[in-house]
Amino acid sequence: MLKNSLLGVIDATANHKGLQELTIHRSPAAVPFGGRYRLVDFILSNMVNSDIRSVAIFPKFQYRSLMDHLGSGKNWDLNRKRDGLFFFPSPSLDYPVTGLGSLDHFAANIDFFMRSEQEYTIVANACTIFNMDFKPVLECHIEAGCDITAIRKDGVSLDIFLLKTSLLKELILTRHETSYLSIRDVATDPNSPFTLCSYHYDGFASMIDTVEKYYEASMDLFLPKIWSELFAMERPILTKVKDEPPTRYAEGASVKNAMIANGCLIEGTVENSIIARSVRIGKNSIVKNCIIMQKTKVEESCILEGAILDKDVIVERGAHIKNSGPMPFVIRKGSVQGAWMNS
Amino acid sequence: MQNKKVVAMLLAGGQGSRLHSLTKEIAKPAVPFGGKYRIIDFPLSNCTNSGIHTVGVLTQYQPLVLNSYIGIGSAWDLDRKEGGVTVLPPYAAANEVKWYSGTASAIYQNLNYLKLHQPDYVLILSGDHIYKMNYEKMLEDHIDKGADATISVIEVPWKEAGRFGIMSVDHERRVMDFMEKPLEPNSNLASMGIYIFNRTVLETALKMDNLDLNSSHDFGKDIIPRLLRENKKVFAYPFNGYWKDVGTVKSLWEANMDLLDDACGLDLFDISWRIYSVNPNQPPQVIGENAFIKESLINEGCVVEGNINRSVVFQGVTIKAGAKVFKSVIMPDAIIGEGCIIEKAIISPGVTVPEGTKIIPAVSDEVVLISQDSINEYLSC
Repeated sequence: MLKNSLLGVIDATANHKGLQELTIHRSPAAVPFGGRYRLVDFILSNMVNSDIRSVAIFPKFQYRSLMDHLGSGKNWDLNRKRDGLFFFPSPSLDYPVTGLGSLDHFAANIDFFMRSEQEYTIVANACTIFNMDFKPVLECHIEAGCDITAIRKDGVSLDIFLLKTSLLKELILTRHETSYLSIRDVATDPNSPFTLCSYHYDGFASMIDTVEKYYEASMDLFLPKIWSELFAMERPILTKVKDEPPTRYAEGASVKNAMIANGCLIEGTVENSIIARSVRIGKNSIVKNCIIMQKTKVEESCILEGAILDKDVIVERGAHIKNSGPMPFVIRKGSVQGAWMNS
Repeated sequence: MQNKKVVAMLLAGGQGSRLHSLTKEIAKPAVPFGGKYRIIDFPLSNCTNSGIHTVGVLTQYQPLVLNSYIGIGSAWDLDRKEGGVTVLPPYAAANEVKWYSGTASAIYQNLNYLKLHQPDYVLILSGDHIYKMNYEKMLEDHIDKGADATISVIEVPWKEAGRFGIMSVDHERRVMDFMEKPLEPNSNLASMGIYIFNRTVLETALKMDNLDLNSSHDFGKDIIPRLLRENKKVFAYPFNGYWKDVGTVKSLWEANMDLLDDACGLDLFDISWRIYSVNPNQPPQVIGENAFIKESLINEGCVVEGNINRSVVFQGVTIKAGAKVFKSVIMPDAIIGEGCIIEKAIISPGVTVPEGTKIIPAVSDEVVLISQDSINEYLSC
């Protein structure tokens, strides 16, 4: 296996309609997940753990929170003098979304591909939760003499493709003649002139494009098999570190079957829930089957069931939020939930 | 104030022999504390939060872990183009190799570091204490008083005064006399081992002290008495917050327990004075179906299936089903087996306590320190 032979490209332009409740203020790639991560942490950590030293991120809408999260790439060891982390926002918001790996968007940054020395490129979406080593994919790709390898799980494409960087450049430069719009286009063309291969992945993978899938994948974390696979010690999922103190459990705390990040103060009851950093759960409050994001404050004597609470929400004393429907219920970032919402 | 430069010198070479096996392979400032930190995080974070960005860390005893932990100081935002953190070990000079024989000798041998940065003031800190303090306020006081040296002091209970460096002061807080561990203390104002000196005053005193064959080269025993003899202006700066020397197993345990008490005065959750540390980057803690946790601090990467009450649990710890942990400190990556009973103990990093082990102190006011070697004593019962 050649050192530094893979270039990472993360397409963060997708704007999933089904995730809208969580993406008003942020790109889907920056949606918080698992108490302390953002969706993009999984693909980015997988790339870094697969010895990829140069990663380009192509964002489009609302990428402020994504940039804030990634910074210089230091937390992924990507703040390098050579290679490292690159950020290529779409030159225009009017560009149509053309499927994963927009050739137009790449063309606007062709210099980057021209300068990169890595022989192969992996083009991936930003919203899949998984922990995967890409090195065997490259080995298979080379051994089988493929032009483009698509990674699949149970026969379904995970929207992650591996190809030679030289082929990628050729596809970018000839896009007007071939009328391919995206890498996905090329990889799914039934009359493709290229050798298309599939790599079958049997680990856990969930592409988050709806709130339902988001909730389901979050709850899957409670399955020990999935948990230990996703957070394998030898391939850690890295994220922006925050210097939070350890979480404090107070006298009246009662916590069962929960995942809790640092910096929280738990004074109430938490069951089957995921609690992100710096969340406060007040006295006599009961939180069940919920996902609560960073810095949200649940005051005293509240009852929350089956809800997703985005960042910086305040649930005022005595409020009851019960979701009886099958759809998870999202409470938007920064909103205040008063006791008058009782129903 | 802006143009007045201050450099901090953090004494981190101590062995801390009263911490027994905890400091067998690491220096005392690297001992884990508070569920996530090491002791040295407190003075280093205090420096950053006080706007002091040039810090020399003097190391000597078992420096490997400490050196790699400090790195280039980025965890405390001390990776700077100018200044930043510099680890200062003892070194070989043209004619001899000199170990740091005392706190003053450590600074004396690094006068070149001070010469390099040319500060107006030098702040001397030790890496043995848990506290949050704004050194900038102390420096303002030092300047206001026109002092040559300022010593930060805290009132201690009279009956404990004999364990500290004790000073008596006049109505303007000028230090009249200073006694290291007096048998009959005439004051309860104890030195916290935090000093600010005018650099020129410090340089002269250190040079004189170096020539004194009878000196033990210690700030408390030699330098401060020397300045008082020379009638220099030495002032006391009163500190009212939480401050604790964690030099013994018992005091280290007590300081950890203090964190569980809101009234103790050390608030780790205060974002305006955050304590920074090297973050382990582990997943959130997982709390199991039958776990029971109250009045505790628990860090990331833990898996808890058992019962935790009034305890401090570091990153990566596993508490298996049926285990009961009470009034204890469980250090990083320890594994507490099924059905164990742990009470008033400090479990060292990485120790595996086998299933069904019972660890309870023989004498009620003692604290048990468990290392991988000492765990065997508990297995036979």
